[in-house]
Amino acid sequence: MLSDYTFIGIFVVVAIAFPIIALALAFFVRPKKPDAVKSSTYECGLETIGETWVQFRVQYYVYALVFVVFDIETVFLYPWAVAYNKLGLFALVEMFIFLAILVGGLIYAWRKGALEWV
Amino acid sequence: MNQLGFPLLSLIIFLPLCGAVVTLFLRKEAVIKWWALIVTVANFFLSLPLYFYFQSGTAEMQFVERIPWMLSLGVSYHLGIDGISLFLVLLTTFLIPVAVLSSWTYITEKVKEYMILMLLMETSMVGVFAALDLILFYVFWEATLIPMYFLIGIWGGERRIYAAVKFFLYTLAGSALMLVAIFVLYFMNAQATGRPTFDLLELQKFSVPLAAQTWLFLAFALGFAIKVPLFPFHTWLPDAHVEAPTAGSVILAGVLLKMGAYGFIRFCLPLFPAAFAYFVPLMSILAIIGIIYGSLVAFSQSDVKSLVAYSSVAHLGFVVLGIFALNAQGLSGGILQMVNHGLSTGALFLLVGMLYERRHTRLIDEFGGLWKQLPLFGIFLLIVTLSSIGLPGLNGFIGEFTILVGTFQANWIYAALAATGIVLGAWYMLTMLRRVMHGPLDKPANRQLQDLSAREIVVLVPVVIFIFLIGLFPNLFFGKMESSVDTLLSQTRATISMGEPNP
Amino acid sequence: MNISSLNLTAIAPQIIIIITALVVLLAELFTGRKSLLAYLSLLGIIVAAIASWYIWNGTEQRLFAVPMFQTMAVADGYSLFLNLVFLVTAALSVLASINYLVRERINHGEYYALLLLATGGMMLMGSATDLMTVFLALEILSISLYVLAGFNRADLKSGESALKYFLLGAFASGFLLYGIALIYGATGTTNLAAIVDFLKGTGPMRGTYLFIGLGLLLVGFSFKIALVPFHMWTPDVYEGAPTSVTAFMSVGAKAAGFAALGRLLLYAFPTLLGDWVWALAVLSVLTMTLGNLTALAQTNVKRMLAYSSIAHAGYILIGLIAANEAGMAGVLFYLLAYAFMNVGAFAVVIAVGREGEPNLELSDYAGLGSRQPLLAAAMAVFMFSLAGVPPLAGFFGKLYIFSAAVQAGFVALAIIGVLNSVVSAFFYLRVIVYMYMQKPIVEARPVLAPPLALAIALAVLGTIGLGLLPTPFLTLAQQSIAMLFGA
Repeated sequence: MLSDYTFIGIFVVVAIAFPIIALALAFFVRPKKPDAVKSSTYECGLETIGETWVQFRVQYYVYALVFVVFDIETVFLYPWAVAYNKLGLFALVEMFIFLAILVGGLIYAWRKGALEWV
Repeated sequence: MNQLGFPLLSLIIFLPLCGAVVTLFLRKEAVIKWWALIVTVANFFLSLPLYFYFQSGTAEMQFVERIPWMLSLGVSYHLGIDGISLFLVLLTTFLIPVAVLSSWTYITEKVKEYMILMLLMETSMVGVFAALDLILFYVFWEATLIPMYFLIGIWGGERRIYAAVKFFLYTLAGSALMLVAIFVLYFMNAQATGRPTFDLLELQKFSVPLAAQTWLFLAFALGFAIKVPLFPFHTWLPDAHVEAPTAGSVILAGVLLKMGAYGFIRFCLPLFPAAFAYFVPLMSILAIIGIIYGSLVAFSQSDVKSLVAYSSVAHLGFVVLGIFALNAQGLSGGILQMVNHGLSTGALFLLVGMLYERRHTRLIDEFGGLWKQLPLFGIFLLIVTLSSIGLPGLNGFIGEFTILVGTFQANWIYAALAATGIVLGAWYMLTMLRRVMHGPLDKPANRQLQDLSAREIVVLVPVVIFIFLIGLFPNLFFGKMESSVDTLLSQTRATISMGEPNP
Repeated sequence: MNISSLNLTAIAPQIIIIITALVVLLAELFTGRKSLLAYLSLLGIIVAAIASWYIWNGTEQRLFAVPMFQTMAVADGYSLFLNLVFLVTAALSVLASINYLVRERINHGEYYALLLLATGGMMLMGSATDLMTVFLALEILSISLYVLAGFNRADLKSGESALKYFLLGAFASGFLLYGIALIYGATGTTNLAAIVDFLKGTGPMRGTYLFIGLGLLLVGFSFKIALVPFHMWTPDVYEGAPTSVTAFMSVGAKAAGFAALGRLLLYAFPTLLGDWVWALAVLSVLTMTLGNLTALAQTNVKRMLAYSSIAHAGYILIGLIAANEAGMAGVLFYLLAYAFMNVGAFAVVIAVGREGEPNLELSDYAGLGSRQPLLAAAMAVFMFSLAGVPPLAGFFGKLYIFSAAVQAGFVALAIIGVLNSVVSAFFYLRVIVYMYMQKPIVEARPVLAPPLALAIALAVLGTIGLGLLPTPFLTLAQQSIAMLFGA
């Protein structure tokens, strides 16, 4: 009798309830002994230096964009590899065209100096 | 039919255009002037066979050319003339060389552009009178705006830009609704007959439903009334005339205004006969107001050129009155009066221009007693003034008299009112003549003036010849238009009597 | 699935353009001569045009439609005619850009690549037969244009232009996407042919979702083609963007929007068009009237042209509203005419300016008729054509569209249209007044670089040629839309 939406509904309820319950339980059970180091901002286990409100170098964004290029590549390559046997020669050619376009993007980024940390 | 078996009309239309293209590559001013003159004179002689080969006995279109142009829409390149348009084509080809010659020394800047525009003007104006396809007509009609706009705007007087823009927008606004009306007519006809066409002769056979006639007539009539100009749409005219260079005024008065009156005859009358008959009182009264108002305002002008401009409003009122008399005399008188007005008002503008070139003023008070200094000029001004006020033996008399006879048959009150216009016309024109030419030569500046040069005489003489020719032998002209006018009227009457008289 | 089912030949023009874009992008890295990139782009555009022509001639009758990528897109007369419009626009813009970019010191190679990508997006929009493809093409087009609008990085106005365009464009894309989602919800498909089948099956029944979905789609497109009241971004964006970009997007993006909208409304949703026709008519009247009235008040030529392009969208919309063959053929003819006259006008604007002196005010045009007669004559031709004076291209565009409106019974719309063109004549004439009837303020003679001169000459040729010989192009347009109504 359960329709598809009911499953989704149950899923949503569980998804919301689970973190709330987990956090609430931790809040009540855990010991509370704060000190200076414990209250400071967590930054990969290192001590924090200066303000958190700083400008990032533009390279971060350029890196992020280049990362997206490879990210997309992986996302597309994975299902392609899984279904490769069914797709045949066509898929091989198609993938090479796709990779060629991505390589074009990489060459562009490289020549423009996006991979150098200045 | 085309009795020549040769596309003469196209040649007359496109010779000036080709001349204009050649002018682009000429450099010397003198060469350009002579070239423009040669082309326009050649075009006049080229148009003479239209008169001599014209067959008087038929109302059919003659010298017809017909080539499909935009086939899918039913637009064709269809040219032809009958007794109604014949003289307007001739008037155009006659006045353009006169105008070119009159600007010989008047135009000193940008001669090349000026002459190109004059030639383009001729192409588009002849096209208007020869087109028998509504879209083709509309294209030529609008195309006349561009050269005239530049003629006024570049070579005009003090307030030339205002006048040029006003001229352009008024006329464009008037014709815009006409375009929509053309479409409505086209689709009505296409639905009824199944043959989509913009051909005037085909559309004439289609009788428009009475209810639609009124609206279509009004849409067409607005465009034509602004062009004529009919009171109360005349306000652009004095501005345009006063600011335009002499040749511009000559063309404006001589030909452009006739396009409006011609439109009433060629399009409104055969296409919407019932509505035409229905609006006779309104249009006649507007025409009479134009006659009397134009005359009174003309009298109070201090500038000779604006006096002539307002006299145009009055004269064109006569033309419209004649057309809306809806009988043979009125109509043929109206057509002839269009030619007459083109000649005499054109000549008046030429003379005013010559005076202005000498004195650089047009104020009547600045003159007086010029007869002693400029006897030749005086003679021409006298002849033209008398022609303009309708002295028997000259052309103006024939036109106005025939119109009045026609109007009298239709409605004697209109005729009586219009007749006062003739009296008023004589009054202001003669007053102007007296104040300019007679009296003591008391302004020192006027003592230096030179009389007409040989070139100026060459400009004026042909016009004066025609003034006499029409006055003395009117049947040379009436004879050619008779059967066209009669056929048009009998067709119209048949259509009107078939339907109800009032829509 | 195999390669032949994709029908790559049918999409060849788009592929050629995109490949050229990538090649240009890479070539920029290895050459110092940027003009080489421009000529490379032109080469690609010409090859794409030849490919379009080849497809057009490939079949006996023009009643063809070659579906590709599993009916995601199609090569039919409609898309091929639009290819012509887009390629003309792109070619003229590239020619006009070459020296402009050098002059403004923004001669970066990415310019041509982005322009070509945008062109590819436009062409894809003309051939899209699936709502997803429409969206994809629109985004390719828009994102390239956002970057191009802000191409003059040093200029604050250019940046403002890009940001405004991006924000409102993204907003519009949101509407569009939501509309597509609702239509998918109602019909279960995003494919236009399938939607047609679905609507045939349901008969007169129209779902509320479908109705709202189409409404949202219209809002989205209204933003993209700048219909009043969704036009607020246009003047600022057009004014701020580099002039060559303005020329390109004022014609290309608009034509692309109309291309997709035309296919959607006339092919997929002809029955629903009835529900929306009055809304469209109101939009059209508002667009024409407000565009023209606001343009009256402008003294900046570039801004004036921006408002005038809003008004022209209103005229073109009339052709869509008429929803008959004459109207759609008129729209296509008008778009082609508009490509020539509007890009031409912007090219003159480029020619009049100098580095650091944009020379955009009307007074900068004073006396141009004597300073540079040929340039002024070209501008006069464009202005008269935009105003709709015969015998120029713009007149015949209006002629076809208004006559189609009368045929479809929208006489009032046609009357408002012609009255609007009278109003518009005033501000177009004003440019001519300044050029020919005012004394020059500066005596400087604008320098015409050869490519720019070529662009202007081609545009003049097109504007006059389409006016004197409209028949072949109109016939072409009529043949192109046969598919749209044949289905």
